[in-house]
Amino acid sequence: MQGKRIDKEKLRVALNRFVEKQNHIVYGYGKNGIFITHKIYRDNPEDLSLFNPYFGLNGATFFYRVFGKDIKVVMLLRPCEIRALIELVKLNQIEPETITMISIDCPGTISQKNAKADLPDDFIEIKKAFDKDDSGLRWACKFCREKRGVVGDAGIRVQEDGGLWIFPYTDKGSDFLNLIDGEIIEYTAKFVISESIKTEPFVTDMDKFYNDFSKCILCKNCRDMCPVCYCVDCLFNGDEYLPKGDAFINKMLRTGTQNLPYGKEIFHMIRMYHVSQTCVGCGACEEACPQDIPLTKYFKGISERLQNLFSYMSGRDIKETIPYLTFKEDELKDAED
Amino acid sequence: MSDKKEREPEIVGFACSYCSFKASEMAGSLRMKYPEKVRVIQVPCSSRVDPAFVIKAIFEGADGVFVSGCHPGDCHFIRGNYYTRRKMAALKEMFKAFSMDGKVKLFWISAAEARKFIEKITNMYNELREEKNAGKKN
Repeated sequence: MQGKRIDKEKLRVALNRFVEKQNHIVYGYGKNGIFITHKIYRDNPEDLSLFNPYFGLNGATFFYRVFGKDIKVVMLLRPCEIRALIELVKLNQIEPETITMISIDCPGTISQKNAKADLPDDFIEIKKAFDKDDSGLRWACKFCREKRGVVGDAGIRVQEDGGLWIFPYTDKGSDFLNLIDGEIIEYTAKFVISESIKTEPFVTDMDKFYNDFSKCILCKNCRDMCPVCYCVDCLFNGDEYLPKGDAFINKMLRTGTQNLPYGKEIFHMIRMYHVSQTCVGCGACEEACPQDIPLTKYFKGISERLQNLFSYMSGRDIKETIPYLTFKEDELKDAED
Repeated sequence: MSDKKEREPEIVGFACSYCSFKASEMAGSLRMKYPEKVRVIQVPCSSRVDPAFVIKAIFEGADGVFVSGCHPGDCHFIRGNYYTRRKMAALKEMFKAFSMDGKVKLFWISAAEARKFIEKITNMYNELREEKNAGKKN
């Protein structure tokens, strides 16, 4: 693998060169009070932070429907956020010409909800803190499918002594690398983050499902915060699936006793199916849930199971098609009952 | 509750109007019988069935749902049922993860296969009836 050895200063100089041009934007993490949050820079990205130990929401949520071709955005985000952006490109929600996606090795994150502001923004130190005590680590991060910066147009990887490397994966990535000082050299040492361990297929039953989701209040925050749930006209915005008023009373008269809010099982099951091939398992739904329902367990579990059916992984490669939008003639011979 | 009384399962079926629905019409004209609790809904193509319909039907009271279309390669719209196959295979996998196998079925039935249509539906009905009554007695 060939890449450039960088440090924070070199990267900052390169980003400065980038934002100096008109309509050029840098999107990444930055200091916001005592926390580190997403930040979009139109000028000098002085307080840009490459690593962010807090997870509040998935950064791809801000980038639905980006079609302008005369702007340029460089995004320095976690692999899960880059994967969500790649899925949005596949779903025609983003014009890929506009943005250069750079994924950064992720040491894992803690929830912003109960975060204490004493975590550093240096990779090795964050990793050390999590190795010592992983009780705060989010469930989604413990079972993350891709923590390595190997997706997108370029990737920033961390080697064992804390040194940073940037590798181009596409032409757009190479263009960005040209802004950085230094020569492209062969890489030999070892990275801190290795490939994630494969997990067992997810199995549950309806009783567990009812127990976990019984406290759902149907606020639909999980849908609004999901990076790949992009529909403007969501199925659940109208009265068809979640009836209200007279339609609701009539439904009760027809179907009998029901637990309220009505339709929460339908909502979650249908959403689970609709995002099954695009879910990146970032856990933003669980972060947004006011009732602390273990949503990631279900959504990530089901999506991995359904993606394995077609040997697909969401956001792995921009050239792959979403399985529901394509087919092979000679497959799934046992689909018929 | 009336334990002794046999409980009848309700089945909702989505049938492609070019093949399976024609097969059901043919079964009718041949005076074949299938359980009356089976409700067949005509759809323009089996790929018109969003799995959301299936999930909605099951959570609103249906005991089983089948989706029925033309044999792969025979679709009126050339490729529709290849998409159905992928969608329904994934949906069945999802129901398997929730330990609800057998609730959703996918059939390939052409317009000439009235007998196959009756057989498949009656089998599904009998399976679901056994399951439903076995569960109730305990």
